[in-house]
Amino acid sequence: MAVFEQKYKPYADELTPHWSRFLVIPRYAYKEIFQSRLFLALFVSCFVYPLACMLIVYLHHNATALEMLKLPITQVIPIDLDFFYYFVVVQSTFGFFVTMFIGPTLVAKDVTNNALALYLCRPFSRFEYVLGKMATLLILLSLITWLPGILLFLLQSYLEGISWLFGNLRIIFAILVGSSIWILLLALMSQAISAWVKWRVAAMGILLGLFFIPNAMAAIIKGIFETNWGYLISTRSLMRTILADLFKHSTRIEIPVWSAWTALLVICAICLFLLFKKVKAYEVIS
Amino acid sequence: MSSRVEIYSAEQVKGKMPLALWWRQFQAIFRSEIKKIFLSRKSIMLYIFALNPSLLFIMLNIFNDKKKLIDAQFLNRVFSEVYEGLILRVVIFFGCSWIFINLFRAEINEKSLHYYFLTPVRREVLVVAKYFSGLFTASLLFSITTLFCLFLIYLPRGYESSMQYIFDGPGLNHILSYWGISVLGCVGYGSMFLLLGVFFRNPILPATFLYCWELISFLLPPLLKKLTIIHYLQSLTPIKLSEGPYAIVAEPVSAWVAVPSLFLLTAVVLTVACLKVRKMEISYSNE
Repeated sequence: MAVFEQKYKPYADELTPHWSRFLVIPRYAYKEIFQSRLFLALFVSCFVYPLACMLIVYLHHNATALEMLKLPITQVIPIDLDFFYYFVVVQSTFGFFVTMFIGPTLVAKDVTNNALALYLCRPFSRFEYVLGKMATLLILLSLITWLPGILLFLLQSYLEGISWLFGNLRIIFAILVGSSIWILLLALMSQAISAWVKWRVAAMGILLGLFFIPNAMAAIIKGIFETNWGYLISTRSLMRTILADLFKHSTRIEIPVWSAWTALLVICAICLFLLFKKVKAYEVIS
Repeated sequence: MSSRVEIYSAEQVKGKMPLALWWRQFQAIFRSEIKKIFLSRKSIMLYIFALNPSLLFIMLNIFNDKKKLIDAQFLNRVFSEVYEGLILRVVIFFGCSWIFINLFRAEINEKSLHYYFLTPVRREVLVVAKYFSGLFTASLLFSITTLFCLFLIYLPRGYESSMQYIFDGPGLNHILSYWGISVLGCVGYGSMFLLLGVFFRNPILPATFLYCWELISFLLPPLLKKLTIIHYLQSLTPIKLSEGPYAIVAEPVSAWVAVPSLFLLTAVVLTVACLKVRKMEISYSNE
């Protein structure tokens, strides 16, 4: 066929269902992310602690194993609210490092290479784009935070009996809510930074700084002014307070719980605003 | 316009190092780098970051009890806490990481390092000039931070009382010590971050490791403490703070050991960086 006879032809095949279009982004992102052996090693190491916890749960219910190890049951870590609290804290820390590794590049690459227009010229909205990019992180972080937490809880319920499950339903709620808030916050913050800071190294540095520097400042404010309100600027402290409240760990509550929730909501709103301000199909460069 | 290449004769004396030429090249790179670090838009964030501790002291002056603000013991304790907890461990550490990592990494990111490499400048001169430009910037910025915070601490006492404390009391010793520690911090951390920027494509991960290593220094046994920069810097502070109930106490090193140790570390690190840069080949597509 002659070149002049070639015309624009719209895509005629079956379209991806509207509800699942955002999942196209994570599918391609994972292909790239898992090519890094360093990341793979980090991701695998995220499952070491859950496995160790499962072993502890198993030991609690296996008298033969305890006898073989010559370990009295009183010396094995008790399975209670604190056990699950520390599980969420440890896994959240791993979640932060996973986010630091992959979060800063997700949007930055598209912004740097002016590729946003290529996404948004398709039947794909800004909301779906943001959701897709966030899903990349949310799915991965779910795999290392609340999913193993729930599995751990179910294992303990299975071994301890149904009465333990009904007596400790609060734990499952705390794991779900605590982990979800944390991974949502991580995803939003990393995406917002990624959209505004195009250089990966700088974006990683800023993400790292945002989690460490305000904490140090809050501790100094506490030291000088003898007030805990400084912890409002530290996302780590906000999360610690919320988790402590969910797991009834009252000694670790640093600021009123309502203020921690409010501060987190404000941070999430700011991140969303920054993200949508940058994610546009066009950019006017002055 | 002539298409002829203009060649300037270089001073080449067999068997002798062209020190004068290297010095001129050093000065040229130094000036150019200083402009880049000080006058770029990115440095605004650095200035704001360096101002952070001063805001705390301004708040302290506004909101705290006036009686407390003239109590020398209280103010010295507060300053040493803020200095060690915020200025040294956070502001100087992260500030130096920003300045020194960017000396090479930012050039690679902006695809401009090859301009330096194409000029007839020895790579070693380039590394040293870049390091000293970073050191000058960091030292100036964080010295201002330290001295301004000290000024804010002495402000509520009034002019006469402050002068008396500085010149007749331990004030001058404190000021010089803290100022010196800030500069030494820039010397030590700066060299480490320059090395990370040269060796790693993504220096944030090793920088995070370095931060964690410095952060847990109080938990380390005395032998391992000697492998942290913060141990030498803390040994020089005029007011020693408790590191908490879990800390493993180690004898602070004397200034005669701490200062040369940091300079020695810097010399070794710069040598390694020079050797690396000497054989460096740029491939921007891999970045």
